[in-house]
Amino acid sequence: MNEKPTSRTRETLQILLANRLAVVGLCVLALLVVVGVIGEAVAPYGINDIDIANRLTGPSGAHWFGTDELGRDVFTRVLVAARVSLQVGFIAVGFALAVGVPVGLVAGYYRGTIDAVLMRIMDVLFSFPAILLAIAILAVLGPGIGNAMIAIGLVYTPIFARITRGSVLVVSEEVYIRAARSLGARDGRIILRHILPNVLAPIIVQTTLSLAFAILSEAALSFLGLGVQPPNPAWGRMLAEGRNFFQQAPWMGIFPGVAILVTVVAFNFVGDGLRDALDPKQKSVIESRGQSV
Amino acid sequence: MNDAILEVRDLTVRFGTKRGVAHVVNGISYTINRGETLAIVGESGSGKSVGVLALMGLLPQPPALVTGSVRYHGRELLDLPPREWRSIRGKGMAMIFQDPMASLNPVRTIGYQLIEPMEHHLRLKGKAAQNRATDLLDLVGIPSPKERLKNYPHQMSGGMRQRVMIAMGLACDPDVLVADEATTALDVTTQAQIVELVGRLQEKIGMAVIWITHDLGVVAGIADRVHVMYGGRFMEQASVDNLFATPRHPYTRALLGSIPKPGKERPAKLMTIAGMPPDPVLMPAGCPFAPRCAHADGARCDDTIPQMESLGGTHGAACHYPLEAKS
Repeated sequence: MNEKPTSRTRETLQILLANRLAVVGLCVLALLVVVGVIGEAVAPYGINDIDIANRLTGPSGAHWFGTDELGRDVFTRVLVAARVSLQVGFIAVGFALAVGVPVGLVAGYYRGTIDAVLMRIMDVLFSFPAILLAIAILAVLGPGIGNAMIAIGLVYTPIFARITRGSVLVVSEEVYIRAARSLGARDGRIILRHILPNVLAPIIVQTTLSLAFAILSEAALSFLGLGVQPPNPAWGRMLAEGRNFFQQAPWMGIFPGVAILVTVVAFNFVGDGLRDALDPKQKSVIESRGQSV
Repeated sequence: MNDAILEVRDLTVRFGTKRGVAHVVNGISYTINRGETLAIVGESGSGKSVGVLALMGLLPQPPALVTGSVRYHGRELLDLPPREWRSIRGKGMAMIFQDPMASLNPVRTIGYQLIEPMEHHLRLKGKAAQNRATDLLDLVGIPSPKERLKNYPHQMSGGMRQRVMIAMGLACDPDVLVADEATTALDVTTQAQIVELVGRLQEKIGMAVIWITHDLGVVAGIADRVHVMYGGRFMEQASVDNLFATPRHPYTRALLGSIPKPGKERPAKLMTIAGMPPDPVLMPAGCPFAPRCAHADGARCDDTIPQMESLGGTHGAACHYPLEAKS
């Protein structure tokens, strides 16, 4: 193979790193991943260390984010909850990608009956409000973090199927696809080698945005008591618990809320940056700067 | 040397549309021999592109319905299972398209796209494929071909991309190259270079070329034989010299009359052909050109489809009243 994937990736990265907001987003995400991995180890307290004497105390040197109604350290719990949020986000979106993209590729390329059947199924999923569908799925599967991932994944599948199909419809009409066929390429090869790379950009952008929404959905489900089960910490759950004490101890709700906000915004920054970086027409800008022909 | 590579008999393409059946190609027949260039000329909508797409098996069926016979080295293609047809496409028969800006995949390097058909048809890999790709780019006149393999299509000009398309077409030594309006999107000097390039390559490789165009100037430059297409039928077929010297079909003559001739005194008004090409859904019962023809008799021309009749040698016209050869 003469393909040079490294050079294409490098170009994309170059453009991405020139975008300040995207860099900020990437840094925040990197930090989150680090926190997710080592959070529990570096946290100042145990997640369920109860200290009734110091319940509902405000932020201080000992408890940076204050303590909750049982005297548990909010900072520790926010830190540890990062892991589960990221896990749910990545696994749920991974699930949505793994199902939605192939569905969209097949539907958009073959059209006709296959397209109609697949996309009507997707439309059925899409027609329910996201959170309602997730709740319904969890009602069937039972609450819990694993089922929440499946539920969120299913909710986001039709978005990927639609985005992929839409792009495939456009790209498969391109002359270069006909040209590839005129040179004897098989359907599978055309789909995977010629169409998929051309529809990747919107999928990648949607992925980063969906990660943000998946994390929000997880927070919502946990808020409703359908996601992470007590006593394990999750941002959504902490928000729900903090609601009851908002007058006395606003930090209980504010800090997990800020964590959700920062994460979602970071994903959005990266998504925007990626969209610009993956536009093949933008690429020539850097190239003409870098090398003169 | 005069063996037929491709024999097309009575090729018909119809499309089912909401308004009814569109008769886009209505029984065209031709034979092409090794090393020969056949030009198919016609205005937009005459069915010339659809005709060759059917030939390549690139029309989705349905909506298209292709009937007739296409024999490649004596083998019937239209009945071939898709798998076997695929092994001929790109290897035996290759095609270049109108718009070089759109016919290369923007996210793949030139090298990748050149090598892909070689891997597929010739089982060439790695260094061998690289070398062949470099040779091909060199053959079509691209400077520093080795470096160019790493380029993406947007780094090349239109003329260069069309050269790359030709190189891709040639990658597996086809014996038929179909050029569908291959020079239409290029500027005139580049056009001339591409025409010259294909002519040169053809001499070198000995492949046959089917050149689809609406540009009679290009035809004069490249073709051995010409078929004039209108309303999905061939109106006239002749060697290129005969066609230009003694057009016998009123349509051909009108077409030639509508081209300004350098050197000669400019006529007060350039000749035009009144009216529009026929609607493929509402094809006339008789000669498709009859409604626009100055020589139509209003009876036989409107009722009976004229068949291609020989007018001596290879010259033929599908007209009830072929014009006399002008002296």
